[in-house]
Amino acid sequence: MATGPLRFCTPHIDELPTTGSRQAPGFAWVAVSGAQDDPAKNWGTSNRKRARASLNGPTEQQKEALSARQQREVERKIRDLNSDNSKNASELAIPKKEGGAGASGAVRAGKTPNTKKILGSGKTFAHYLDDEEAEIARTGRRDVDVEVSTGVQRPSKTPIARRKTREDSSVSGSPAPVTPMAPPPWPRTAQALSYGEITNLDDVDDEGEDAVPPLPSEAQLEALLNAPPLTYGQARSRPPSSSAAPPRRFCETCGYWGRVRCMKCGAMTCSVTCKDDHDQFKCLKMYA
Amino acid sequence: MARQKAHSLINAPAPAPAAPPTATLILDAGAHTLKAGFSTAGTCHIIPNCLARSDRDRRTYIAADLASCRDFGELAVRRPVERGYIVDWSGEKAVWEHVFAAGGVLGGVVAAETTLVLTEQPGAPAGTARMSDEMVFEEFGFAGYYRALGPALNAYAPSPFLPSTAPPPPPGTPLECLLVVDAGHSHTTVTPLYHGRPLHPACRRLDIGGKLLTNHLKQLLSARTFDVHKEVWLVNEIKEDACFVSQHFARDLERTWKHNGSPRTKVDDGGDSIVQDYILPDYETITRGFTRPHDPTLTARNRLGLGLATTSTPATAPKEHILTLGNERFVPPELLFTPSDIGIPSAGLTGTVLQSLAALPASLRPAFLANIVVVGGTALLPGLVERLRAELRARVEEGTEVRVARAGDAVGNCWLGGARMARDGGGLGRVVVTRGEYFEHGEGWVRRRFAGKGVR
Repeated sequence: MATGPLRFCTPHIDELPTTGSRQAPGFAWVAVSGAQDDPAKNWGTSNRKRARASLNGPTEQQKEALSARQQREVERKIRDLNSDNSKNASELAIPKKEGGAGASGAVRAGKTPNTKKILGSGKTFAHYLDDEEAEIARTGRRDVDVEVSTGVQRPSKTPIARRKTREDSSVSGSPAPVTPMAPPPWPRTAQALSYGEITNLDDVDDEGEDAVPPLPSEAQLEALLNAPPLTYGQARSRPPSSSAAPPRRFCETCGYWGRVRCMKCGAMTCSVTCKDDHDQFKCLKMYA
Repeated sequence: MARQKAHSLINAPAPAPAAPPTATLILDAGAHTLKAGFSTAGTCHIIPNCLARSDRDRRTYIAADLASCRDFGELAVRRPVERGYIVDWSGEKAVWEHVFAAGGVLGGVVAAETTLVLTEQPGAPAGTARMSDEMVFEEFGFAGYYRALGPALNAYAPSPFLPSTAPPPPPGTPLECLLVVDAGHSHTTVTPLYHGRPLHPACRRLDIGGKLLTNHLKQLLSARTFDVHKEVWLVNEIKEDACFVSQHFARDLERTWKHNGSPRTKVDDGGDSIVQDYILPDYETITRGFTRPHDPTLTARNRLGLGLATTSTPATAPKEHILTLGNERFVPPELLFTPSDIGIPSAGLTGTVLQSLAALPASLRPAFLANIVVVGGTALLPGLVERLRAELRARVEEGTEVRVARAGDAVGNCWLGGARMARDGGGLGRVVVTRGEYFEHGEGWVRRRFAGKGVR
């Protein structure tokens, strides 16, 4: 879209001659650099027609191509990949011990009411995850942080003088530090968290660095160490930023780079022979 | 004799004060294998953590019984550990009872006299933690119990960066700074540890593990060669034998291009051939498959890639079923580094490590970058450590030291750390919860103790 010479007489607009402007026709050739060379980058624009059309990014049609149906297909594939073959295996019965102890029936079911419930429950991991998320959504905090307020309240046997320290220590959650360094579960006298040791770490690892960022202070380090553990969802790895390379697509039939997209189902194949195979055997699956 | 006495002790609702526990048992319950052993042992026993039924044998195998199985075809496997957390306790109880039995690999475990150290993965929902605590104390009746964060135990194992001739640190001393990449069956976790304690805000999890790689390989093989949808065990073996992580994915993909089905005119360059033949087991003569360099004359007969080949001596020679593996060797492990190939919205392994580091204060990052240890079953894939190191070096600024190493015994390293930690009796005694304390304070108190809140 080069701008040609102004065709109409416009009094207030004057085109100044620059080195770039020259008498050009109403269209421009734009070099498609390297689009044909690297097959890895070529998957969306394999033939020249599409290359020309998609210079400005995917067209409307190409955007529609990744429609809801493909998303569902992708998610179904991911779920299959995560499956543990538990469909046919979860009913796998535990073989009875031959000649077991006389109370084997009762033992199998669990010794206490709690364990009976556990052994008899058919909950899967997804149930527990949902339970925890529902708990967090309901009460706003995690199960481990909640103090025992709904449990059985036994009359406290500690004398009043000592009662306060117990409450303080359990509420604050961090061990009452007598020394400036709070002891980790394995306090070692030689290797206690001492500031001198932290600077030692600094010397060993950052040698020759002039602009060293300041080491975290004691309080920051303790805050890091005592931070509550992340929930299952919080600890998940985040997707890469959108500025990273677009996901690579591969041929469904042979596994090479995908270069040709099937118009019906959106699957990629690498060449005509693989595409024929796809049309015969795999394309129908979307309509089945 | 002693066992019967212990049995009656288990049935008592409130236990009489028992003798102090004599032994410590470390159990690293993973989704694929259970690593078990007493703390005094040097190495652990690796036991498949599953119940398997073979329709051909009409037998159900529990745990270590699988070693006696001759026919792994169409093995239906039930795994009590899901996503790294023990969910199916009736199955897990069967496995544990089999392991603890008198004739088992451990030589019999008397729970009432044993302290149990059980590992747990980060991010556990409260329900699974509660179940573990209740089952250990009420059902099995252990005398003492400590539920440890799995990756945290790695800090007590000897560092793979020191030469093996260096004297090992005394048991119970954790390494100072360690970034543990645990590539397991269900997922891969990245956990920075400081003196053996995890820095929780920086822990990350990638939901790709050996199970996903095996399933992906199963789909590829089923689409291209013949249907192996039911043969999970076989495909797992193929993955362990033939798969590797490629250092230059694009180049390796070019080398294995099939040229549209025509016979491979392009022979792989030199002696570094990627394409291999996998000889499938037939469970009569061959129990476990193996790989062989590709021989095109044998598979030229059958286009599907499954060739029945007779060797030069006709009558007595066994027929071999051959599977030709080209890019199926390195495409599934590539998912670890580029999950977007399949459409999983996660960063790869390198991206996850960088996300974890980004959550740490800037001054600590070089320390952790220089101490990255990779453990877990999936870490045994050849080329994984090199690829991680190369990618990290490329994405971290110049001059920072990046050291990535696989632990000497990748599968048992967590157990080894637990055993070394347990050998230091004083340290263990501080965190262990005894049976008396459990029945006195209740389960919620125990759970908060293990989370680090509340002091003795």
